[in-house]
Amino acid sequence: MKTFYVNVRYLIVPVMTVLTIYGLFLGGIYAWTGVFLFGLNIILDTATKNIHLRADFDENGNSFGIKTFQYIVMYLMFPIFIVLQCALAWNLYQFTTSSTVAVETLVGAILSTGLWAGLGIIYGHELSHNKREGFSVSRAIMALSGASHFTYAHVYQHHLELGHQNDPATAPRGRNVYWHTWLSHFGQSKFSFDLEKQKLERHNKSFFSLDNKWILGYLYSLPSIILFVWSGGIIGILALVVVWSISNFLLEALNFMGHYGLIREAGKPVEHKHSWDNDNLFTSWFFIEIGRQGDHHVRGETYFWELDEVGAPNYEIGYFTLFLLTLIPPVFRKYTQKYLDEWDRNQASEAEKQIAKDYYEDTKHLSNNILVV
Amino acid sequence: MFGLFKKNKSFTAKLVDYNQEFVVEPGDSLLTGALKAGLPWPKKCQVGSCGTCKCKIIDGKTRAEIDFSYVLSPDELNDGYALACQTSLKSDISVAVNLID
Repeated sequence: MKTFYVNVRYLIVPVMTVLTIYGLFLGGIYAWTGVFLFGLNIILDTATKNIHLRADFDENGNSFGIKTFQYIVMYLMFPIFIVLQCALAWNLYQFTTSSTVAVETLVGAILSTGLWAGLGIIYGHELSHNKREGFSVSRAIMALSGASHFTYAHVYQHHLELGHQNDPATAPRGRNVYWHTWLSHFGQSKFSFDLEKQKLERHNKSFFSLDNKWILGYLYSLPSIILFVWSGGIIGILALVVVWSISNFLLEALNFMGHYGLIREAGKPVEHKHSWDNDNLFTSWFFIEIGRQGDHHVRGETYFWELDEVGAPNYEIGYFTLFLLTLIPPVFRKYTQKYLDEWDRNQASEAEKQIAKDYYEDTKHLSNNILVV
Repeated sequence: MFGLFKKNKSFTAKLVDYNQEFVVEPGDSLLTGALKAGLPWPKKCQVGSCGTCKCKIIDGKTRAEIDFSYVLSPDELNDGYALACQTSLKSDISVAVNLID
């Protein structure tokens, strides 16, 4: 029974994505199913903000997670996301050819698709840390959102440079989520570009090689572009831009929330204190434990169902609730400042405190009562 | 994907410079096996990006779980170097590494 419970609890996203697809095919008000579910999740996440569970192991220390089952689910998310895009394309086709789909239906379908394509990116993240096949599926899932570069940048840059100023996915104090989305997205793409350039130069190969994963990654997104151009022409392109913008915004919002304001001294190892944990019940189950960032960044190869509470700094609310706050930057900064103060006071090393202090002094619009008096 | 259904078995890794050996369980990387055995194997990122766990496979069959060419040079690849955190074993092996003092 315990095995069933531990494994089935991570099926919220697959089930809700299928419901969203069903809504897109039903049309009308049901095209807004994805948006409705997103709103429902905010309520459920906020309602369970005080429930924090630990990872489940038996008396011998073995996890109840079934690897084969979890991997089948993660791999299955790739065709499910393809069907999600096809469902939107079908709506676009109906809208442009027969006008049987109303404008408000199409808007709901686009927003629903964008939100669930974005939430599905958690599977692209999880599989980016896995072996050959999983890594390829990760690239394919990310390509559906035009973000195939993420897989390489996440593993080869973010996990290495976490907490450093040259990690685009780590947001420094004072940055807002909107600016972070641009900087992080294009910063990671630039990194992936440079990574391929250096690799190909070392191996005496042309940049325009089939071994160039940066170019290949964007080519993997071509089927989506062709599908939306075919089904909706200019409107289809606009719809795809909106879907990709929403999904990449959600991806970068997760990066933003996971590391905002935390600092690591150059050359020092990544520790639990360099990531924020968001591990209340709903966030943990919905985001397949991606909120246990502290453990994940120290044990990057650990399966998500084995990640646990490790004493990392914790915002004490889930991702959905915190995401709402990030949308209003002054509110987000006000909420997080007390946690940053606590981090500065109790977890930062002397060198990290100095980096933070210098940063506050350089950015006069910020204040910090702990470091700058 | 189909590797998920394979039946794996444990293999032994022998440290040529230390006269020690340890078992690597199915599904574990070479690094994980070493750490479970309590060996002070150098490590940092554990996702194959930093190169800290680099070692040289002297003998035996291994499988690179990710593309090592982002971290290791062509010469290192030709000489049999591998990233322990992203290496699985396909046979018993002999490996050279500088353990942390």
